[in-house]
Amino acid sequence: MAKQVFTVKGMHCSACVMTLEGLEDELAGIRSLKVSLHKQRAEIDYDDKKIGEDEIRRAFEGKGYGLARA
Amino acid sequence: MRLWRKPEKPKRRNAATPIALFLGAKLLAYSILGIFLGWIGSVLQLSPYSRAALQIGIGIFMLGTAARLFNLHPIFRYFIIEPPRFVTRFIRRYAKNNASTVATPLFLGTLTIFIPCGVTQAMMVLAVGTGSPLLGAAIMFAFILGTTPVFFGLAYVATRLGEVMHTRFLELAGAVVLILGLVSIEGGLNLMGSPYSFSNLLNAASVSLAQASGGSPEVAAQPDANGAITIQVYNTGYSPDLIKAPSGKPVSLTVVSNGTTGCTRGFVIPSIGYQRTLPETGQTTINIPASAANGNLRLHLLDGHV
Repeated sequence: MAKQVFTVKGMHCSACVMTLEGLEDELAGIRSLKVSLHKQRAEIDYDDKKIGEDEIRRAFEGKGYGLARA
Repeated sequence: MRLWRKPEKPKRRNAATPIALFLGAKLLAYSILGIFLGWIGSVLQLSPYSRAALQIGIGIFMLGTAARLFNLHPIFRYFIIEPPRFVTRFIRRYAKNNASTVATPLFLGTLTIFIPCGVTQAMMVLAVGTGSPLLGAAIMFAFILGTTPVFFGLAYVATRLGEVMHTRFLELAGAVVLILGLVSIEGGLNLMGSPYSFSNLLNAASVSLAQASGGSPEVAAQPDANGAITIQVYNTGYSPDLIKAPSGKPVSLTVVSNGTTGCTRGFVIPSIGYQRTLPETGQTTINIPASAANGNLRLHLLDGHV
């Protein structure tokens, strides 16, 4: 299990938050994904045996957002 | 006897219907929200000064929203109100689990009032500032109707053309909100009777320029021997729009409207706390006491415009 805080780039409104939090249902291995528009951050709790950081980053990029370790 | 039957063509899913239902529900929901916001504004509207404070507050919120869209500083991100997480989660999961082509888009369109973007939030506070359920609804209706195709088109183009276009789009939205914010603050300052509003500073400058260049400034009307003066109210303004009365004497101001239907019927004199919607046709007499008739009295429309 891993819990990591990331900086998210490209969010503008609560619809962006909703889109990104939807990844919680789409990606296997994500236990919880909390996105803050004000802080431009994502707190991701995931099973690192099922999904890696690179895969999560690619999923964010696929939605049009950038992701980097905070 | 014919045994072979031509196979039926699979029905093509009509994508336009759910989109139209979604947008229609969104338009209706925001219009109803506009009625509610305008009503809140009408309840809050206690006096010209409280209205002015509300308008200035709205203007500041809009300037903050514009600064956020311009990405000036992270602090301006707090000018957007984040809906509670359970609301966004509910909308997301409802959309995922319900496939009805009628009920789902209608419901989701209605739920969009809980996830307004920053510019929409700015329009919502503007609707509060109108102080009228009808105008509040009209603002939200016009905004949603007018921006839906524009936002859709620009967002589509921005997605295709990348980050530079996206940034330009946000800057354009920021510029529009900035102008609306400044207009709101200007209206608030006018309602307060402040000499520091842009229009009053401009008037003062033009009078000074006219005097400096040797020309005569606009000729002011004067009350008669009894201190009475009449102003005609037209749809486009007031005549005379400049009155010079001797200080320390009461003035009886008669305002005459004749088939006037414009916003000029909303008549405000901030410094004596006078605010009234004039009749379409009729005379209204306002007695300005001697104590108030010293210095400059500014007359305004209800929305703060001079």
